[in-house]
Parts: sequence; C-alpha cells; structure tokens
Amino acid sequence: MSFDSAQLALSLPLLVVAAGGLLVLLLEAFSGTPARDEHGGRSYLAVAALITLAIATYAAVGQWAEAETPKAIYGGMFAVDRFALFVDVVLFAGAALAVLLAGGFLRTHRFEFGEFYALVLLGTAGAVMLVHANDLVALFIGLETMSLAVYVLTGSWRRSARSSEAAMKYFLVGAFASALLVYGIALVYGTTGTTNLSSLGGLAKGTGGAVMQEPLFLIGSFLIIAGLAFKIAAVPFHMWAPDAYEGAPTPVTAFMAAAVKAAGFATIVRLFTVAYGRPSLTFGAGGWASICAVLAILTMSLGNLAALRQDNVKRMLAWSSIAHAGYILVGVVAMARAGDDARGPILYYLLAYTLTTAGSFGVVAWIGSRGDERQNVDDWAGLAARHPAAALAMTVLLLSLGGFPPTAGFFAKFYIFRVALSQPGLISLVLIAIANSLVSVFYYLRVVTAMYFREAHRPFAPVRASGMTAGLIIATVGTLALGLAPGWVIELASKATLLGK
Amino acid sequence: MSLLGAITLLPLGVALVLLAIPREEESLHRGIGLATTLLVFVLSLFLLPGLEPTQWNSVVDWAWVPSLGIHFKLAVDGISVFLVILTAFLTPIALLSSWSAVSKRVREFVITMLVLETGMLGAFAAVDLFVFYVFWEVMLIPMYFLIGIWGGDRRLYASIKFVLYTMVGSLLMLVAILYLYVKHHEVAQTWSFDYDDLRRLILSPHEQLACFIAFAAAFCIKVPLFPLHTWLPDAHVEAPTAGSVILAGVLLKFGTYGLLRFAMPLFPQAVELCAPVIAVLAVIGIIYGSLVAWVQTDVKKLIAYSSVAHLGMVVLGLMAWNGRGIDGAMLIMLAHGVSTGGLFLAIGVLYERRHTRRMDEFGGIASQMPGFAGVFLVIMLASVGLPGLAGFPGEFLTLLGSFDSYRTWRAAGVPAMFGAGSHPKLLTAFAATGVILSAVYLLWMFQKVMFGPNANPKNHGLRDLSVREWAVFAPILVGAFWLGLFPGTFLDRIDPAVTATIQQFHQKYAEAPESGVTPRLMGAARTTATGSTVGAVNGARLQPAGMAGGAQ
Repeated sequence: MSFDSAQLALSLPLLVVAAGGLLVLLLEAFSGTPARDEHGGRSYLAVAALITLAIATYAAVGQWAEAETPKAIYGGMFAVDRFALFVDVVLFAGAALAVLLAGGFLRTHRFEFGEFYALVLLGTAGAVMLVHANDLVALFIGLETMSLAVYVLTGSWRRSARSSEAAMKYFLVGAFASALLVYGIALVYGTTGTTNLSSLGGLAKGTGGAVMQEPLFLIGSFLIIAGLAFKIAAVPFHMWAPDAYEGAPTPVTAFMAAAVKAAGFATIVRLFTVAYGRPSLTFGAGGWASICAVLAILTMSLGNLAALRQDNVKRMLAWSSIAHAGYILVGVVAMARAGDDARGPILYYLLAYTLTTAGSFGVVAWIGSRGDERQNVDDWAGLAARHPAAALAMTVLLLSLGGFPPTAGFFAKFYIFRVALSQPGLISLVLIAIANSLVSVFYYLRVVTAMYFREAHRPFAPVRASGMTAGLIIATVGTLALGLAPGWVIELASKATLLGK
Repeated sequence: MSLLGAITLLPLGVALVLLAIPREEESLHRGIGLATTLLVFVLSLFLLPGLEPTQWNSVVDWAWVPSLGIHFKLAVDGISVFLVILTAFLTPIALLSSWSAVSKRVREFVITMLVLETGMLGAFAAVDLFVFYVFWEVMLIPMYFLIGIWGGDRRLYASIKFVLYTMVGSLLMLVAILYLYVKHHEVAQTWSFDYDDLRRLILSPHEQLACFIAFAAAFCIKVPLFPLHTWLPDAHVEAPTAGSVILAGVLLKFGTYGLLRFAMPLFPQAVELCAPVIAVLAVIGIIYGSLVAWVQTDVKKLIAYSSVAHLGMVVLGLMAWNGRGIDGAMLIMLAHGVSTGGLFLAIGVLYERRHTRRMDEFGGIASQMPGFAGVFLVIMLASVGLPGLAGFPGEFLTLLGSFDSYRTWRAAGVPAMFGAGSHPKLLTAFAATGVILSAVYLLWMFQKVMFGPNANPKNHGLRDLSVREWAVFAPILVGAFWLGLFPGTFLDRIDPAVTATIQQFHQKYAEAPESGVTPRLMGAARTTATGSTVGAVNGARLQPAGMAGGAQ
C-alpha cells in the first residue's frame, strides 16, 4: 500500500473538509479573547466553513469526469466513483445549509461557539468517509467520526435540558448501534476472511458463495443492516430519532435529518449492491430486499401516523423525516431487482429531501426568539399576515415534503415510484407509499392552515440574520427549481457509476 | 410558443410580477389581475377560428424531462377548447365580482386567482398525462387557499376536507397513470406520458378495470358523483363568491371532462362494465341532489346541491356513450358553468347587501331591486332548463342520448345484470324527473326570496345593481341566451370531436383481448391476431345505431 499524490488528489473532497474542520478549530483557539458582541462575533468562522465546503464541492465536481471509471484507492478501502461524488455534493449542501442557519440561531439563543462550525465540518468529513468506504473498517471509522461529531452538536445547547437529554439518548442508542455494527463486521470477517466490499461481492459471484449461506455470516450481515438502520432511523430502529431531533439545536437537526441520513442511505446502497449483490444474500424468500420492504412499510406507516398526532412542528417534522426514510427504502427495495436503474432515483430523492428538510427545519429555527422557540402549531398561527415571505417558503417546503407538484418532493416520489412500479410485485409497496402520502398531506397542511387561515395571537420576533435568510432562500428556490427543471439532475444521477458494479 | 401556451402561462407570469408590487397597492393589483384575465379571455377566443375539432390545435410541445419521456405538451380539440374558453370567461367575472367583497389580503387574492387560472387552463389543455396531473394538483392549492383565507366561519374544516377528498382520488389516479406509463414502456420500449401514445395501449380487462376505477375515483369525487359529494356543500357554503363561481363553474367540470377525455377512452372494456353502475349513481345523484336542494334554507347550499343534480345529468349523458349523450353532456357542462356561476354571483350580491343567505330573511326583494330581479330570473330559468336558455339544449340531448343508451349496454350483456331490458329507459325517466324537480326548488327559492311581501325591514331600501355588478352579469346573460339560442356554435365543433372519440373508443374496444392477455399497442394486434375481421365483428357488437351521426 503506497500513498502517492495521485491517491491523495483522488480523495481531495475528504481532505479539504477534514483540513477545513481542523483549521476552523485552530482559528477559534487562536482568535484570542472571544469576541462576545452580539452581531456576528464568530461570523468569520461560519464564512470559513462555507468556503471550505465550497472548495470541497468544487473538488468533488472536478473529479466527476474522471470518476466515470470507478477507482479504488488506499488499498481498496476508499472508492472514488460518481455515486460517492454525487452524495458528497448532497452532504456539502446539507452542511452548508446547517452552517447558514446556525449563525443566527446560535446568536439568538446565546450559545455561539466556534467549535460548532468545526464539528459540522468534521462530521461532514466522517460522512464523506462513510460514503466512499469500500471496506467495512473504513465504513466503521467514517460512521463513528460522523456520529461523534453529531452527538456533541446535539448536546451543544448546554442550557437546554432537552438538548442534553437528546444528546444522551442519541449517544447511548448510537453507541449500541455502533456495537451491533462492529459485531456484525467481526462475524462477517470471521466467516469470509475479508472486510473489503469488493472482495465480498467477488465471493458472492464466485465459488465462495456457499460461505454466504452460513448462519454466522447471515447473523453478521443482519447486525450490520440493523446498525445502519439505526443511523437512517428506520422503524423499528427509530426510537431515538424524535427525541434527538426535537431536542437538538434546530440547525443541528437539519444537519442530522439531511446529511446524516443521506450518508446512511448511500452506505446502504453501496453495501447492498457491491457486497451482497442481487440475489446472493438470502433472508427469507426475497433476500435483503424483503427485509428492506418490511422496514419500508413500517417506517412509512409509523412515521406518518405518529406525525399526524404531533402538535409540535419540530417533532412533527422529525417524524416526517422518519417517514421519508421509508419512501427512500422503497427505492432500495426496487434496487434489488432494477439494479443500476434504481440508484438515480435514490440519489435524486436524497438531494431533494436534503434541500427540503434542511429548509423546513430552517424555518423552525428562524421563527423562534430567545427563550421562546415557538414550536407549537398554534404558535405559527397568522404567520402569513406578518411575514408573508417566510410563510410562502414554509408552504413550498411543506408541499414538497407532501409530494405536491411542481416541487422537488413530488418529482422525487414520482421517480422512486416509477422504478418500483417497473419491477413486478412491488405495486403493493407503491400503493402503501401513496396511501402514506395522503396521510402526510393532512399534517403538513395543518401548518399551512395555521399560517394562513388563522389570526396571530401574539407578535412574532423571528431571528434576523442574513445567513439564515440566504439559507432559506437557497433551500426554497432549490426545491422549486429541482421540481420545475429536474432534467439535468436526473441526467447526472442516472450516470452515477458505482465501484464494483 | 403557441397561442395556447401563452394563454396558459400568462396568468402565472403576471402572478409572479404581482409578488414584486407592494401589497398596499390594492387597486393596482386588482386592475392588473382583471386586465390579465380579460386579455386571456380575448386571446382564448382566437383559438376558435380555423379550429380542427378532431385534431390537436395550437400545440405546445416542449421536452421537459426527455430521458423520462415527459413532455410539456398542451393542445386543444373541439371538446377542450370550449372548456378553456369557459375558464377564461369565468375568471375575470369572478375577479370583478369580488371587487368589494374581498377587502383583506387583496394582493394574495389576485395572485391566488391567477395561479388558479393557469392551473385550470393547463389541466384542460394538457395532452400529456404527467402534465395533466401536475396542473390538476396545481389548481388544488389555490382553491384551498381561496376557501381557507377568504371563506366563511367553518372555512378551516371545509378547506381541508376539500383537499383530502380530492387527494384521495388524485393519488389513485397517479398510480394508474404511472401504471400506464410503465406498461407502455414494457410494450413499446419507449417512455411516454403522451395521451396519444397511452391511448394506443391495450391492457387486459382486469388491468383496465383497476386503472379505470382509479381514474374514475379521482374524477367522480371531483364531479361530485353521489355518494362522494359530501365535500361539495361544505366547500361551496364556506367559499367566497369568487371561489364558488370558479368551483361550480370550472372545477367540477374537471371530473366530467376527465371521464370523457381520459377514463373512458383509455379503458373501453372497463367502461362497458362500469358505465351502467355509474349511470345509476348519477341518476340517484340527480334525484337526491334535487330533493336535498328542495329542503335547504340556505340559498347557497341549495345551489350547491343543485350542482350535484346537474352534474349527475352530465355523467348520465357521458355514460350513454353515444353522440347525443356526450354532446348533451358537453352542452350542460358549459351551460352549468354559466348559469350556476351566475346563480352564485346573484347570491353574492344579496349576501353583500344583507350578510345572510337564509331564505326566510328575504322576501319581496324584487320590488327593491327590479334590475337584479330580472337578471336573477333569467339566470334561474337558464338553470331550470327553459327552452331558449342555456340549460335546455344540453338536457334535451342528454336525455335523448341516455334513452338510446340501452343499445350500447345491451351489446355488453348489461340488461341481464339488472334484470330488465329497458332499464336505461327507466333510468332516463327518473333522470327526467330531476329536470322537473329543479324547476320546483329553483322557482320555490326564487319566489321566497324575490316575491311576496317585503315584510323584513332590513330588506327595505336595498340598492339595485351597480354599474360594476351589471358588468359582471352582462356577460353571464349573453352566455345564457347564446347557449340557449345558438347551441350550434358549440355543437359544430364539439360533435366532430365527440364522434372521433367514440370511433377511437370502438376501434380500441374491438382490438382489445377477450381475457387476460399481455398488454400491447393498438394496431400491433391486427397483424398477429386472427385478422381485422375479428375487430370488425366485435366493433359491430357494440356499435349503437344512430351513434355515428351524433346529434345534429
């Protein structure tokens, strides 16, 4: 194994984000007496983080052409392919939105600290590692790097009891999930003698396929799937999610719901396609697809039904993001049969969902003022009359989450359902997903109803920060643009190559 | 961009411009909105000269997402052109009628109306099913806002009920559209949502039935067909006048238009099975709607239930599936748009003056408002179906077509199912009582509101119609007389399109498999199957006599 400069250049997006994170950390440490003025004492750190993310995006985009032929570097541990690069850009977009939202939010609630931005960047670096990981060990390192950063971010609002509680829950459950994952990796390694995804895929295709039928291997694989299901908050591995999402500082929630989930799904796609191949790993009749189908049905249905009962907008959105994981899982199930055709829809969904979810949590972050987060639906009454632009943005984002055309959310659902319907036998899954969308319309429109149809009973004092405004505009316009002109993203997503395929 | 594209997108474009104008400039917003919708109406009339009723006219075809076969394709034929014009006709009237009634959030109101207009025009003009679905959903949200923001006391309940009812159907329709799209790809190896492409796809009878039910659910909820109508009275009563006019005048027509354009031509075998059932529901709707309208004390609710009855008549005409029936249904759709739109406007006038819609609060209004009384009378009689006014030609043709429809159904073995060979005739007889009932409840209502002693002091000194209100009613009156006296203007273009639709329907029916056969494209079978003679025999089996000529 040799580290030559070509390999370093190929992992540039990861290096840029990691280096940027460390740099921001240093900047904070050496900035002398902390500037505690209320007007952007640490804006320069946010700007540094944004510049880092921009450079990383540029690096990822720059590798797009080269990555048409997938490469494995660092001894086969790190995949460079278009699939990973596409998810990288989604992650950077999610992280950038979180950074944009954070400034105003942290200042309003008086807990701005420089490490926040560093942690977002380091968490993103972990996610990038995870997305590129072509080896179970690299996968674990990426997952832990990402998770540790997010645990700290979740608990970063020290004065808020909910934040500490959320961090504790998230950490305990997350550590449990990591343990499952490691144990699963150990069992898989024990039976096959390799942790490399490509080698595992080779076993499945070649004569070593018999080893994949061994109980220990199956248990190991199941534990890995369970560990990842925790990360994407798929029912029944979702218990931590509503509390963690609700308790975390809202920009962190946006980051968790968008970037962490996107990275988790990218890993699942890579693991299933590369390591397990299509039919080789059998759990029951349909292989891993049948596990995913059960997860998808449970996740969609429980997510939506629980969201229906929430009066707290933030918690409602948390449940809704669980439900959306269910819709993406429908795409994963379709991937079992449609193979390469299903990656495009999943990628498009991840991008659309990242913009929409980060944006909608952004409005939740925006509406609150110090000591008054205004998370109840009733607190949103009459918003349209006072702040029409924000209400319009939230409406667009909610309609996108509910799957109304012409927004990104509609197109994403359509694209997933299209590939699922193309496969025989998945129509029932699509019907369940559609029934779930109907349920979801009810609770999304509840917020719209409050904003537009009811009178405000107390004045609004939302966060005023240019970064936050910019973040909300980008998310909303992006959601509309992706829905109105989805063609070019679909082109890119459908050409996303994957190492080992 | 063709004329049709410009007409469709103009309101949306203007709505975006209005976002940039400060909300304080209320009269500017109203003025721009009215000018835009008037311009759209004038432009829409230019679709008529040179129209080829059986072809797609004024086609817009932009590749939207080429890799998925999605084209932004709009076009009109002899059927949809009049619905486009009806939409363009009613929107400025609705805007003008709300000049004084809507005083809060004027900018949002105008923008909502404009977006709604684009949604409606686009849905009538779409000939790509993806685009149709997009516009279908796009018009849902503005209507939700119209009811929810500018509606009455129970507007929250009514608006969410409206959305959820519609969504149930439209999501089912979405599944069916996707299913057609995927099947078409399986057979033809190309992705397409184009109506002309999907129409050539022949599914097995079971698939047809499932897809037809999904489409019909969406459209029958929109119509609304008994027993799916319960959202309508709530939505109408709570909606502001402009919303009611658009809802009754245009939105309900999407149900019947969808049946005629999509649900029935796409799935002929399913129609054969379902048409008699839907026709029975339609007749129940006619009688039930009329009886419930009769006992209403709220004038607006009465008109809402009368819509259930009138639209039931339209559905009956469609289910007859012969030239007269469909021509008649189309005429009623146009007439209902004008007359019921007019009735809601009239109620709006009364409500603005008295802030009540209870019948017993009124009486003797005719002596106070003689001009209004004349206008109201004409519109009311048009709704009743008095010869010479809008409602008559359509109802006459529909009943004629429905009376004849046993020929269509007998071929399908349906009378056996119902146990009586004459059941379409019986149905038509029941439906005809609906016409009588509509005269009863409307005349009753008119008598209670307008005539009799002017006993209630609150009704003294009501001012007659203002110049603006005359401007609102004048085009309605013109429309009511025109539709009644010169139905040929419309039929000349509608009938060829309807005849062509029916012919395509029978051609497709003839080519369809008898039992579970893999889907294929039309035309492809002729070479592989036993030959065209089979098609001819099957076609003759369903071909009803007197259909080809239509109603002249």
